[in-house]
Parts: sequence; structure tokens; C-alpha cells
Amino acid sequence: MRSFTHVNAHTIDEALELLSRHKGTAVLNAGGTDLLGVLKDEILPHYPKVVINLKTIPGLDEITAVDGGLKIGSLTRLVDIVKSPLVRERYPVLAEAARSVATPQIRNSATIGGNLCQDVRCWYYRYPRHIGGPIQCLRKGSGSCLAVRGDNRYHAIMEGKRCFAVCPSDTAVALAALDASLLVEGQDGERKIMVTDFFSPLTNALKPGEIVRDIEVPALFNSTDQRYSKFTLRKPIDFAIVSVAIVATMENGIFRDVRIALGGVAPGPVRARAAEAMLKGTQASEQVAFEAAEIAVSGARPLSMNSYKIEITKSLIKRALLGGN
Amino acid sequence: MANKYRFIGRVTPRLDAPEIVAGKAKFLNDIKVPGMLYGKALRSPHAHAFIKKIDKKKAEELKGVKAILTWEDVPDWKGGTPRFTRILDRKVRYVGDAVALVAATTEEIAKEALKLISVEFEVLQPVFDIEEALRPEAPQLYDEFPGNVVTPGVPFFGPKNLKEVVMGDMEKGFAEADVVTEGTFGYENIPNPLPPEPPGVIALWEDPNRLTLWVSNQASYMDKITLFHVMGRKVEVRSIGGPCGGSFGSKFMSWQVQTYAALLSRAARKPVKLVFTKEEHLAAFTVRPSSRMSARVGMKKDGTVTAVSGKWLIDTGYYSMTTQSQVAVGCGEVQIMVRCPNWDLRPVIVCTNRNASGIVRGFGGQELKCILIPLLSLAMEKLEIDPFEFLKKNYVKPGDGYVWRDGIWYTYRGVDYSPAMDKGAEAFGWKQKWKGWLTPTAIHGHKKRGIGVGVHGNADIGEDSSEAYVRLHPDGTAMLFSCVTEHGTGQRSNYAKMVAEVLQISLENVSITPSDSLINPYEFGPAGSRGTYAIGSAVIRAAEDAKKKLFEIMAPMIQAEPGDLETSDGMVFVKHHPDRKIPWKAMSVDRTITGFGRFEPDYTLTNCMMSFVEVEVDTETGKVDLIHIVNATDAGKIIDPQGLEGQLNGCLGSAGIDSALFEETILDRTSGHTLNANLIDYKWRTFSELPSIHNVVLETPFPSHRFHAVGIGEVATSPGPSAVLMAVSNAIGVWLHEYPVTPEKVLKALGKTKSNRSSRLNSFNSSNGLNVRDGGAE
Repeated sequence: MRSFTHVNAHTIDEALELLSRHKGTAVLNAGGTDLLGVLKDEILPHYPKVVINLKTIPGLDEITAVDGGLKIGSLTRLVDIVKSPLVRERYPVLAEAARSVATPQIRNSATIGGNLCQDVRCWYYRYPRHIGGPIQCLRKGSGSCLAVRGDNRYHAIMEGKRCFAVCPSDTAVALAALDASLLVEGQDGERKIMVTDFFSPLTNALKPGEIVRDIEVPALFNSTDQRYSKFTLRKPIDFAIVSVAIVATMENGIFRDVRIALGGVAPGPVRARAAEAMLKGTQASEQVAFEAAEIAVSGARPLSMNSYKIEITKSLIKRALLGGN
Repeated sequence: MANKYRFIGRVTPRLDAPEIVAGKAKFLNDIKVPGMLYGKALRSPHAHAFIKKIDKKKAEELKGVKAILTWEDVPDWKGGTPRFTRILDRKVRYVGDAVALVAATTEEIAKEALKLISVEFEVLQPVFDIEEALRPEAPQLYDEFPGNVVTPGVPFFGPKNLKEVVMGDMEKGFAEADVVTEGTFGYENIPNPLPPEPPGVIALWEDPNRLTLWVSNQASYMDKITLFHVMGRKVEVRSIGGPCGGSFGSKFMSWQVQTYAALLSRAARKPVKLVFTKEEHLAAFTVRPSSRMSARVGMKKDGTVTAVSGKWLIDTGYYSMTTQSQVAVGCGEVQIMVRCPNWDLRPVIVCTNRNASGIVRGFGGQELKCILIPLLSLAMEKLEIDPFEFLKKNYVKPGDGYVWRDGIWYTYRGVDYSPAMDKGAEAFGWKQKWKGWLTPTAIHGHKKRGIGVGVHGNADIGEDSSEAYVRLHPDGTAMLFSCVTEHGTGQRSNYAKMVAEVLQISLENVSITPSDSLINPYEFGPAGSRGTYAIGSAVIRAAEDAKKKLFEIMAPMIQAEPGDLETSDGMVFVKHHPDRKIPWKAMSVDRTITGFGRFEPDYTLTNCMMSFVEVEVDTETGKVDLIHIVNATDAGKIIDPQGLEGQLNGCLGSAGIDSALFEETILDRTSGHTLNANLIDYKWRTFSELPSIHNVVLETPFPSHRFHAVGIGEVATSPGPSAVLMAVSNAIGVWLHEYPVTPEKVLKALGKTKSNRSSRLNSFNSSNGLNVRDGGAE
């Protein structure tokens, strides 16, 4: 592995200052589980000079109850989210999504902030440099998306544009269904970004010099059924081929409120709003679940090799709505 | 059956276990030689190109760089069969082909130096598909292989070496059939056996022509032989083997990594370590050959196969070192699997612009069965024949025979495997579960279960030669001289057991030399399943020879004939008067006794493995789960119960059963990049998802060596993949033709999704002029 300077930040301000001082040549390290792989394989055109360690900033790894909702520090490890009684009680969909990530070893060091900010898994983008050099693509600054004409079995079936890599984060899907947002700090102060607005093709909404400080999960005023369902070829380790998070308020078998977020199908988690609207007020049934699933994927525009993802998405939505596996 | 042996068949600790468990075993990458440099290869970004210009000046100026080699700097050494593949060539033939080699004082410096080498390429059109490579206008990889067809045959196997299965009268065969079916099947996912330890070597060149290699390979003596030939038969090679972190066949041949390091050492005049990264292991080391076949079979109502005719296309990637051998052994194995008097099976080995194929357990036979058993199944379906009954009926029986790799007919003299197969079927509940072809065995909502069965066997258990010495010491201990490396199966411990059993001394009193070619005699190595019978025979004979010499020396001292003597725990005694005894040390303390044993090839015995599988298919998502496996075999006599269990449980990974489910090397079909050269995207089963495995092992004494055992280590992976394809086809009621059975393929077969990607098999059907209708009876 090539060398870099490793700097411990002790406050957010110090981290922001370091980012600004090493403009364009510094990267942030939270859990490091994604970053170190990216650095080791040298997949990106520019190798950082400085790695800023955020783990040394106290207080960024706490889960606190706020106004009926939760504030989760971005450095909170996935294992702590999985184990948190607060999360498990109120937001089991988030605990479930966090638990579905990778392996225990990785969850022991990976953080929720890192899980949201991790780079995409596109195999063209991540092609290892030392087997003939990196593959250039638009996400790396020039060229086009190679997945469009290449092997796109794991790529986006909706909302892809110029880059068809999917958002690899499991927690993002649960957070999207929970209407959560990110609190981001930069030199110009703090701003709030909805999780659903955070991701876009090619990049995320972080501006240079910004750091994700907290994740805010709003209160749920009714008791809800929550489910996170993830389709992979292998149970552990794998990133989702498709995932679905559902948060539903039921009353006598009637959907009073439903939120459906889809993962693995687009550059970010996708809220199936048309399906949500259609479900509202209907009696839960196979037929209704089937129709909702059809509506949810109606906007899909699969690439040459990934139309199978549509079927999987439909199946996951249907089963999640009906409470089965 | 009571075990009459003291060690054989008993659970004994593996000799190397304490070291491995404590992390003290010295694997290759733990070894450091004084002054050692680190080697790296610069790899091609193009699948097919000429190197127009290489500028290494900048890289040479980097501090710590000790040698840089390009095609212009290296001797004209060649590997491959025939030897046409240079170590570094002016032409690159796949994405990852070596362009230049660097040796530096650290790995990091070597990697930095690679970036400073600038290369100008003249990019050529690549070809990635077997059949496209055969078209007249296709890009040509080698001048020596017109039409990209690799010269068939393996001279090492003798003048009549097997290149095809052609015998009998095809017209008559098809005329006698009750049904004739044809179809096309492909086993083209080129899985990587991926042992945990990547390929690597430390090389030390000493002028003028001496090379020492520290290797961690499956057969360390053969590294010496292979390199000797590659390097123009002018270099004296010593190979020192150590513990090997797995091989599964693949690390039987590491000639490229070895020659890279040897050339760098020669240039830098220092020892050079070169170890592949995991990415190189996945993208630039050998994978399983790819196979596609369009064929016709004729079958009678009673399951007698009357004719098999087909063209077996084998894609070997950018070169072949052993693919002809795999084809030869596969052609032999197919006759073991199915009795048929009329054959017209013609293999064509083709080179394409991807990383090369090489040795993988299953060695040709697994590849061929994966595409032939489904084809036979089409005929069985028409005739409503139970595949278990079919495979049992057609498997080689005593008195049957086959043409083996040397082109010679051998009559099988082993046991009938039918009882083992019956026991397996019983343990699996085959008769209760089988509901007929293309019929699920159970349906639970959208989940359907299906079953399948496959079989494989190999006459390689008596393949090639082995030699060993056993040396007896006056203190009652013995030392085995054998160049066998421990590649994970525990065989070195088993040879110690055999020596201990013959000499009746405790296991602690048997030691084994390091697998160093300087001190040990010839050893082909534990390839295929030859360890138990072939290597075991050499070891046993060496121990017996030593014992005989011991008795000859001791007999006069004890006033007896050598033939009347026996030995136990370092004492020699008269068989009928055990109280008349003297210790080994009576031989004199300034003496050792050395016995020699050699095994000559014997192709009259074959092993057998039948695997039964049950799968569950989610018909909504296309996901296939493997639920249960039963492996059935007859080992003659179990030597090492735990090792055997481990070997049979190893049926899943290393390009075995899981190559039907998810293991595959994925290439970009336009650029030739290996897209999944990492263990996230290369799907490899984890321990948390093991299906239930039940192993049935009979012990019917074989006419092999004194312990009546045969090896079965290799074959556990081989019957499974075609059984999975069969099981999934039965579960969903539609024939599947390609591996692995991904959700995409299953959903497409179910008509639930229109994959825009056409199957690779489509072009074959039309271009071949075979109007293929699956299961179309004539």
C-alpha cells in the first residue's frame, strides 16, 4: 500500500480545517472498511496525501433520543446500531438493515456515516489498477459509463443517468423509508439533507470540505410494521442485488400509511411513492400487494442484463407488504 | 468390519496440525531469504495487442529498483503445449498478460516502478467466444495455431495419446436406438479453484545455470521438471517445497510465476520473491477450461446408450499447458461413466483472448460430464428412464474397459460400485423423492424443490510414477524420503501412517523429509486421486524393502531365516517364538538401512463418486438454494477417516458444485477485463451457508496395494454440478443449458423476464448447422 500522512482530528472544526488545508488531497476515514480497499487497489486517479481520522473526535458515536426521534452520530458503528435498544425498539428496520451489512468483523468497525458515504461497487469503477491499469469512466472524470454496453447485471434499473452504479448502502434504504436526513457540517455552517436527496448518479450531495455529522431520524407517531428485506446470492458479505425497506402503519388490516424504499436498483434509495399512494387506505391482500409491486417498478428501464432485478424487486415488495419472507 | 490395522483407518493427529493451528507453519510468504528482492509484473490493459515500444528508463532510475525485464531482455524460453508461449512476448494476448517484470528492494517500490514504465501498444482485435475464434476471419492469437486451434495431443502420454473418442459404427448405433436426441450445453463459467494461498515463489539464480526455487505447490518435484523443459533443458533446477495453502489442481503448474522470479533473480543477482495478489490470482492465473458441446445421443428403452456423436469445443484461453491432458483424461473418463460401443466425440481446443485455463480438479471429466449428462438426460426424459438407474447401469463394471489417455484399452479389474450407489440412493431417499423428469419433488408456495444425480470416476488413481525411500535407524525410528508436499489433504501424515503400519512402529517414530528435489527421488505428486494407490504403493514398497533388508541383516544374529522374522516397536522377533527378539540397534549404531519403492502406472483401476443433490428454487426471485447432498463412494479401505470426510465435504467449493450455483469468472465480453477479481464479486460460499452433506463410504477391498485402498480425493467436486443443473431443471420443469444457474437464467427459463442478452449457446446452434430442438426425438 502506498504511504500517506495519517492525522487524528479531535474536533469537527479541526477536521474541517484539515480538509480545507489539504484541499483535494485529503480523505476522511471513519471505519475505514471501504476506504482502505479503495486505497489499496488504487482504483481512483488521485491518491490522497492525507487521511483524516474522525474516530478520534469524541461524541460522534452516540445514539440519542430527540423529540421522539433519534439522532445518530455519524461515527456510530453498525454493530452499535444493531445492538441499540433505542433503535431496535423504534426503528427495527434500521437495526435490520445495519445487521445485513457484510460480516461481524466489518460491522465492528464500519460506521453509519461511512456506510452512507461509501463509494459504489461498480466493477468497472473498482477495477484493480495492477491488472492492466484502472478503467476510466465518467465517475472518475472522463469517458462514459462502461456498464451500459458491458456486464451490467448488478447495475441500476432506474434513475441511472451517465453513471449506472447503484447505491451500495443498506442503511440508506432503511433511512429513506424513515424519512431520515443527514446533518452536514462545512466551513459555511450546517445544513440538512434528506437521505433520499443525498445520492445522485456520479456522486453524493456532499460539497468539498463537508462532513456528515449526524443522522436524524424523525419520530413515528403511530406504531408501525417495519421490514428490511435484502436479496443477495450469499447471505453474509454480499451487497444487495435488490433490497426493500417498508414502514407501514396498519389499522385492522388496512394500510393507513406506507413507506417503501428500494435499494440496489438505482444510484440512491428510491421511494416508491406511487405505490405508497395507491396502498393508502386499502385492505392488505395478495392482489393489492401485487399491484403495488407492479406500480413500484413501472418506471424501471433495465439495461441489457439486469431486467431480472425487476422480478426480484416485485417479489421483495410483495412479500414485505404481506409480512412474509 | 473390524479394523485389523494399528494405524490405517484409525483417527490419528495430522503431523502438521499443531504448527498450522499455532501459526508456526512457514508458508511461502513467511520465508525471507537474505538479500531478497520483490518481484512484480506490469500487466497489459489490452486483450490483444503488439507492444510497439517500451520505455523503462524512468523506472530504472527509481531508487531501489534492481532489475526491469521486457520481452526484449528475456531468453526465448517457452511454456505451453506445444511450447509456443514465451515468458514475455512482443504480443500480449489477454488483459493482464505480463508486459514487463520488475525486481526492487520492497514491494511498494516495485509497484511504483511499474507505473513509470511507459508502453506503446498497437491494439489488435480480440476474440472471446469459442466459436467466433474458429471463424475464418477471426483474429489469430498465434502464428503457430492457425484458426486458433491448439495442436491436439500430449506427447508425454505416449505415441497413441488420446485425442478423441472415436470407435464403433455410428450409423448402426443410431439405427439401434429407440430415441435419438440432440442439444447444446455449455459449462463456460471458467470458475477459479482459488486456493486460499495465491501462487508465488522465491527464486535464486546462480550462474551459469543453477536455479533454486522455494515453492508452495501441489507437486514440488514437478516444478523442477516443468521449469527444466521451459528453460530450454539447460538449467539445473532444485525445488524446495513447503506447506501449500491449497491448490485444487491449479498450483500443480506455476511455471509463469516461477520463470518471472527466476529471470529477475538472474538479472538482479539476488533472490527474488514474487507472490501474486488475490486480484492477480483471480484475473491472471489459470481457471477451469470452458466447454461447449452440440451433440446427438442414441438410447434404447432399457437405458443402453447406442451412440454418442458430438463436437466438444474447449476454450483454453490464451494458451494451453495442460488442456490437451484434460481432454485426454476427460475422453477416458467419459467411457468409465457411460458404456457405449459407438462414439464419435471430437474435441477441438481453441485459444481466445482471456486468461489461460489450467489444471482444476475434475480434470476434463467434470467439464465433459457437465455438458454430456444433461444431453443424455434429454434422451432419458423421452424414455422415462430414472437417471439414477441409468448412471448405475452404465458405470464401468469389472470386465468392462476403456481407452485411457495413452490410447490403450484397459480392462477394469476393480470392484462393482453399484452397492455404493444403492446405499447412496437409500441414504438420500432417491426412490421416494423421484417423481419423474421435469417434475418438482415438492412445492411450497412459490418455492419448488427438485433432485438430481451425477457420477464421476477417474482411472488416474494409478496414474504416473512415484518413488520413495524409507531409511531405518538403529534407534527404532524411520524416515520417509518423498517429494510429496502437503497441499492440505493430510496425505503426508497418511504416508507416515503407512510406514508405521508396515514397520509396526509408533507414528512419533516416523519422520518425513522436506519435499526438496535435491534429496528425494522422483515424485509426480498428489495429482488427481493418485495419492493413496500410486504414491502410497511407492511408500509401502520402500518400507517393505527396508524391512526386508533389516531382516536380512538381523536373521543371522537371531539364528533364523529372514522370512521367519517380524518386527514391532523397534524389536525384531521370530514370528513363532516372539520371545526370541533383538532391538533394531543390534544392526550396529553406525548403520542405516534404506529401502526403495517405485510405483509404475496402472490404469486398470478407477474410483467413483456419485452425488445426489436436492435444491429449492424460488420461482419468484430465481434464487436457487442447495439443500442437501449425499456423496456415495467405495474407498476400498479408509486410510484416514477425518481426511476423507474433509475431502468429501469439499465437494462444494474450489470450482465444484458451486460452479453450478454461483462460482464464475466474469469477463467483459467486449474488452476482456475480468470484472470480478475480488472476493465480493467472485461468489464463494461462506461457512455460514453450508447445506447438509451426508457421505456414504463403503470399504470393499480393492486389488490395489497391501491396504486395498483407492484414492478418491479429487473427485468429490465433479458429479455435483451436472446434478444441480438436473435438479433445478426438474424443480422448474424447464431444461437449463448453462452454468451457473443464476436468478437471471432461472427467471428467463421460467419466461418471467426477457434478458436482452442472448445466450452464448445460440450462435453455436445456428452456425453448426444443427437444427437443435431440445429433446427432439427422431
